[in-house]
Amino acid sequence: MDKLILRRVDQSNEEMILNFGPQHPSTHGVINFLVETDGEVLKRAIPDVGYLHRSIEKIGEIVGYPGFMPYTDRVDYVAAMFANEGYAMAVERLLKLEVPARAQWLRVIANEFCRIASHLVGVGTMTMDIGAFTPFLHGVREREVINDLIEALCGARMTYNYHRIGGVAFDLPEGWRDKALAFLDHFDKFLGEFDRLISFNEIFVKRLANVAVIPGPMAVNYGLVGPNLRGSGVDWDVRRDMPYGAYPNFKFDVPIGKGFFGTTGDCFDRYYVRCLEMAQSSRIIRQALETLPEGEISAKVPRNIKPEAGEALARVESARGEMAYYVVSDGTNKAYRVRVRTGSFSAMCIIEDVSRGLMVADLVALISSLDVIAPEIDR
Amino acid sequence: MPQSVREYTGAIRDTVKSFWHGLSITLSYLARRPTTVQYPDRTPLPVRDMLPPRYRGFLEVDNTICTGCQACERACPIGCIQITLEKDPTNPKQRLVAQFDIDESRCMFCGLCVEPCPTGAIQHTREFEGTHRYIRNLVFRWADPMNPFPVYKVDKTAEYFPRAPLGSLVRQRLETLAWDRPAPEFLPPEPPKPAAAKPAPALKAAPAPTAAAPAAKPAAAAPAAAEAPKAPAANPESK
Repeated sequence: MDKLILRRVDQSNEEMILNFGPQHPSTHGVINFLVETDGEVLKRAIPDVGYLHRSIEKIGEIVGYPGFMPYTDRVDYVAAMFANEGYAMAVERLLKLEVPARAQWLRVIANEFCRIASHLVGVGTMTMDIGAFTPFLHGVREREVINDLIEALCGARMTYNYHRIGGVAFDLPEGWRDKALAFLDHFDKFLGEFDRLISFNEIFVKRLANVAVIPGPMAVNYGLVGPNLRGSGVDWDVRRDMPYGAYPNFKFDVPIGKGFFGTTGDCFDRYYVRCLEMAQSSRIIRQALETLPEGEISAKVPRNIKPEAGEALARVESARGEMAYYVVSDGTNKAYRVRVRTGSFSAMCIIEDVSRGLMVADLVALISSLDVIAPEIDR
Repeated sequence: MPQSVREYTGAIRDTVKSFWHGLSITLSYLARRPTTVQYPDRTPLPVRDMLPPRYRGFLEVDNTICTGCQACERACPIGCIQITLEKDPTNPKQRLVAQFDIDESRCMFCGLCVEPCPTGAIQHTREFEGTHRYIRNLVFRWADPMNPFPVYKVDKTAEYFPRAPLGSLVRQRLETLAWDRPAPEFLPPEPPKPAAAKPAPALKAAPAPTAAAPAAKPAAAAPAAAEAPKAPAANPESK
């Protein structure tokens, strides 16, 4: 705790304590950093979280089990599908429900589209923070097509509310499959173009390589998850290592950071792992659309959901890493406790240690390479 | 740091080369047609007609086929639907829906109320352009309290339920009612203030006076405490 107390500033030096955010354009939402600097060099940056706290976990204890589903969209609004799925899976484990195969497949398709959309925003805003505006627009343009596809699937562009306890809400609309495949054909070409556009740009690489290196053991100690962990060279993916849903049926690689242009675990690795993951997501969607089984899209769920007393934990691989839902039931139709574990919060914890000795401009690169989403930190 | 002149010029060459790679892609897009469309007047169709049929816009209730089962009210996680049923004084077996209010300003368009509806009376439309100067005008009253509508008797053998074209009812409301019309008055009139005059009683007093004013309809449909400080705990009357 005493780490958070600010040191006395030495006036004879050029030491300063500055507020970075909460309205800074490169903090990706409302996050405040207290930055101790000596000129241009950071002594440390202390994340001050809590500006977007909306007590979503508490709401989960007040509204019933099905009613909490739209609120999970708001946990992570850039990748809401995963938050939906994690909660649905946790309650299904409480109810001991078997989800039909078609619903599992539809979940995977929706999730992977959502992962591509989220990573496009992640890498797009990262290039924008570094100073390149055009790639962001290219990313958003592709994301717009995904948004249209998801809108046709479930009726909303950001707060999807697509998953239900026991399945999904809607089946694929007519002609959706062809549109999705046409988009994926275009998207695979787009990834190569995006690499030529910005990823291998000399200035971009120089800005990111060897900056803010997080070694593998340190990433594990701090509980980093998802692309941030894999960027540090740790080979861990919940989809592959703790399979859930329909994921065991698909072949995909888990890209890990190898120090593409510098040290393993630098900002460029975290960036490029996301680019590689998008290609894998596209691969998964193709397989899922090919092998989509027929059948029901939702299990038989009682209208008044009353699970037996107990607890359940469900882990999903969100776009920002492992997301866990912990639901405790006391036998009534409302949860006794809902707890969400998100990847962005642990990513914020590591900033204080990694930021020592960075330049102020590199702090922006570090924050954006961790791809934190403000509502996911506070919930 | 570059160690030699060769390295130094090499870095410059690489930078210019990769710079040109990126710029050539940007330039290639200069000649293509733009992906953006000017809203709202340059779209080929009105935007609501270009949206997919599952789009979740404003809620619409067709009260000719509403069974008054209140399933939507129970399903709503925020409680923005308020339904009151009463008995028909002339025919005791007939129930009437005296109040069917949907506060569209609080609705989060999740679609959970649509799923349990037995007849499809409550549906999301593709209407989304609902700018209003006063937020209380967004409380849509689908039942007239002065003239309650009878509940629909479900025919078990019916193949489908005769529903008005989806969106027509909401569109009619949005088009006929001016966006800047005055906000509805509150009924019943404001109760006399308690002797101990607090500086801002509206927020604190919101839950309590519902019990204190028995003349009020049960549970305010839209407490609207934040935007209506002068009228604590009363029902909006949108007539």
